[in-house]
Amino acid sequence: MNRTADYVIIGGGISGAAIGYFLLKNGAKNVVILERNYLTAGATGRCGAGIRQQWGSEMNCLLTQFSCNFFENAEEELGYPEGIEFHQGGYMLLVSNEDELAQTKKNIALQNSLGIESQLLDVNQAKVLTPILDTGNILAAAYHSKDGHLNPFKTTQAFADAFIRMGGNIYTNTAVHGLKTENGRICGVDTSQGHIATDCVINTAGGHTNIIAALVGEEIPIYAERHNILVTEPVEPILSTMVMSLSLNFYCQQVPHGSFVMGRSCTNQPRDLRVTADSSFPENMAATVVKIMPALKNIRMLRQWAGLYDMSPDKHPIYDRFPNVEGFYVAAGFSGHGFMLGPATGQIMAEQILGLEPTLPWNRLGLSRFETGEMILESSVV
Amino acid sequence: MLEKTGVPTPEQVDSIFPTEERLSQGPIAIIECFQPIPCDPCATSCPQGAIAPFMDINDLPIINNKKCNGCGICIMKCPGLAIIVLDMTYSETQALIRLPYEFSPLPQIGEIVLALDRSGAKVAEAEVIRVTKGKPPIISIAVDKALVKTLRNIRPQPSEAAILCRCSDLNTDDIREFIAQGHTTVDAIKRLSRLGMGPCQGRTCTPLIIRELATVLSKPVESFQPGTYRPVVKSIKLGELAEYTE
Amino acid sequence: MIYTDLLVVGAGPAGLSAAAAAGTQGLDVLVLERSHQPGGQLVKQTHMFFGSKEQYAAYRGFEIADFLLDMIKMPNVKLQLNATALAAYDDGIWTAQVGEKYIKVKPRAVVVAAGANERNILFPGNDLPGVYGAGAVQTLMNQYGVRPAKRVVMLGAGNIGLIVSYQLLQAGVEVAAVVEASPNIGGYLVHASKLRRMGVPILTSHTVKRADGNETLESVTTWAIDEKWQGIPSTEVIWSADTLCIAVGLSPLCELLWQAGCKMVFVPELGGYVPYRDGNMATSIEGIYAAGDAAGVEEASVAMVGGKLAGLSAARYLGVDIPDESILDCHKQLEALRSGPAGAKIRAGLGKLTH
Repeated sequence: MNRTADYVIIGGGISGAAIGYFLLKNGAKNVVILERNYLTAGATGRCGAGIRQQWGSEMNCLLTQFSCNFFENAEEELGYPEGIEFHQGGYMLLVSNEDELAQTKKNIALQNSLGIESQLLDVNQAKVLTPILDTGNILAAAYHSKDGHLNPFKTTQAFADAFIRMGGNIYTNTAVHGLKTENGRICGVDTSQGHIATDCVINTAGGHTNIIAALVGEEIPIYAERHNILVTEPVEPILSTMVMSLSLNFYCQQVPHGSFVMGRSCTNQPRDLRVTADSSFPENMAATVVKIMPALKNIRMLRQWAGLYDMSPDKHPIYDRFPNVEGFYVAAGFSGHGFMLGPATGQIMAEQILGLEPTLPWNRLGLSRFETGEMILESSVV
Repeated sequence: MLEKTGVPTPEQVDSIFPTEERLSQGPIAIIECFQPIPCDPCATSCPQGAIAPFMDINDLPIINNKKCNGCGICIMKCPGLAIIVLDMTYSETQALIRLPYEFSPLPQIGEIVLALDRSGAKVAEAEVIRVTKGKPPIISIAVDKALVKTLRNIRPQPSEAAILCRCSDLNTDDIREFIAQGHTTVDAIKRLSRLGMGPCQGRTCTPLIIRELATVLSKPVESFQPGTYRPVVKSIKLGELAEYTE
Repeated sequence: MIYTDLLVVGAGPAGLSAAAAAGTQGLDVLVLERSHQPGGQLVKQTHMFFGSKEQYAAYRGFEIADFLLDMIKMPNVKLQLNATALAAYDDGIWTAQVGEKYIKVKPRAVVVAAGANERNILFPGNDLPGVYGAGAVQTLMNQYGVRPAKRVVMLGAGNIGLIVSYQLLQAGVEVAAVVEASPNIGGYLVHASKLRRMGVPILTSHTVKRADGNETLESVTTWAIDEKWQGIPSTEVIWSADTLCIAVGLSPLCELLWQAGCKMVFVPELGGYVPYRDGNMATSIEGIYAAGDAAGVEEASVAMVGGKLAGLSAARYLGVDIPDESILDCHKQLEALRSGPAGAKIRAGLGKLTH
């Protein structure tokens, strides 16, 4: 194991792998990623893996636009011929009441002004794109053809392989037990495999971010909330678009393998880092999705699981340095979108840490916004 | 016979084979084109001009044994895959045959494949010496000199792989490749390969993958944890779930 | 939501014994059985059982299933057939599919007696039609009256391999050979002798090298193996056969126990990962008990006593006054069944379990 490193990234999900990759790409050397389990064992490997640019805030639009452009060329850029299974079948956000219609129109105007070519579909147009939809409860749908989903395991592996090829080191099954500081500056990481001396640590531990931060007495305003997903048996392709609804509270996609992956927000979820399964999720999820897409009633659920959303107060990520510890950075608070933000996260953290010119307006995504009240509001979250 | 069986007779093969003397001088193309059909790419593509220009597009090709240097351009041009290049000077005991092969996956260099005769019957085993990924791909095999008139095709050896995960159709070769890439826990392999994610939920394959990991990595079986056992043990229709009432 | 005192998963020898023991104490018991028929593996067992009087020695398995069923005939015990337990959640809810209906159960205590799963092994051709688990062959033959094959090679000379080979002979099926990788026959030797008297060869230190056939199995290649379990070249024998029966052991069906968060221990002598449990079948999670093959693969006689012990322990946990003698009697029976040289492996395994 490395005894010294210029940069130590804590967390082997999409964020950690992307930050590692973009650091090396921008000239950094001697970068280490630490993962207490295996790559994607946390939120990345448990997420719904949707990629969309249809948001209600300019910030999220810009971040996901950057990421989506990256994903379109990721196989070449990262050199991953196996493929990351990026399926751009479009994302359809169902509109089922007048308030939602008004908000959707506003969102589409914003998105269009940023070059995101989303559009409002009437019920018939939605039905053409998604024939299995029961349009009885739907007024309209927002649609963007470039949105879609990809395979989180392969995407993270693609970043990790590129990172290793460029000279980075990844230590899996390596837990962080302590952080060492000296005169208010980070100087090392204690791991289950030994000590690494470093003067830069990036905390991107998802739901566990505050546990790592607490090692030096820091805390950021996020909490981890359990979210549930289920997957069905694979069947022939019958659903090309990702279907989602904020008011009906669900998202559902058919992945290239043929399985349907679907999730929804449940009430009263534990916030104690548990990722056990929820006993009331299967029937609630099934009832929701069968109502919207009745054809799914004969498809069998194979498995359910849960993962953690690291929720920030304004549902936007936090990219910053911890205020009281020099050299200690954080990328967290993704509020359920960390996977699709991965490339943006990598680019932004590399720019912050290496002092590069910002390509994205990340200066508004720092911790200070929670004190000054300059939070960015986002309405479009399941 | 060829008309009835599709297999040229030994006399037909003899009729187009070069002389012993020419064969001893180095590689040469052999064209098994016995039926006049309207086709001439071999003649028009030969950089050496070794195939006499056709008077009629239905002409059969005639090779000038002195001009042909066995470059193999004609192999790729022949739409009937009728041409091979034979090099009897490859080694003391073995000859090199270059033949077109249009099946995937292509064999690997060094792989031992089955060498087949003109009726597809297995005659011998042969080592793959070169793989040229053209259109069509050309495979060079080293064979016993005594068999050069007999051998005309190859086929991969029947797989020694055993099925390991039936639901996701993964065999021992697939799994060993994941292990070789550094994925050395059940969960890590599961996430990349969908091992154990099918209807059986890992009931059948979990003991097998653990044993395979233990064997390949020379570690005790008990050092491997099974993948996470998630609900549900047996699949259930979404419609049946949706109908649940308290 | 169904509320019950005790949920029993599985109506095999262990589950029925647990249900009978708890039901006799007046507890409300719900038994979920995946099959349309209760009795578990007992219903396929046409041979006479070993053991002693308490475990119905000298009766045949399917007769014992009927005895156990009689014992649960009481109004407070409900046996639900065609009912597959699906999941155990950390809020104490268990789900199941009954016919086409999804149900949820909130029990005060649970006995998991889900049985075991047949193991498989890796060899080329292991997915050819005609390669069966021994249990499947036994089900076809003894439960559904189907002659499953014409000529069989049996892999495994444990009790299952030996017994199923004998039953195949009884059904008029030719058994070409019994092949066993271990240097010694693993099952009871009286079973082995029954086969040898019928002219069936038993090849120890041999295993299957490969299975071949065009559409379905046509031949099985076996070979001798050395002390490192590696095949010895040029010892191959090709057996013509339409069926290869795999009887290489069982894995405890523990998925529900894993889901419930029970501490699991790897004990090869008991079939692989098994739940940690105390001497009274209590797992590491309060109120959850394991019995039968799900707690560690042993004989049906042990499953019955273990099931009874689990049922009594659960009743005691739920506040019923169970005299120590009843518990001790189970301990004594288990000790007797596991005593002697044939039980040495199990005793070694149980020793690992408690550490």
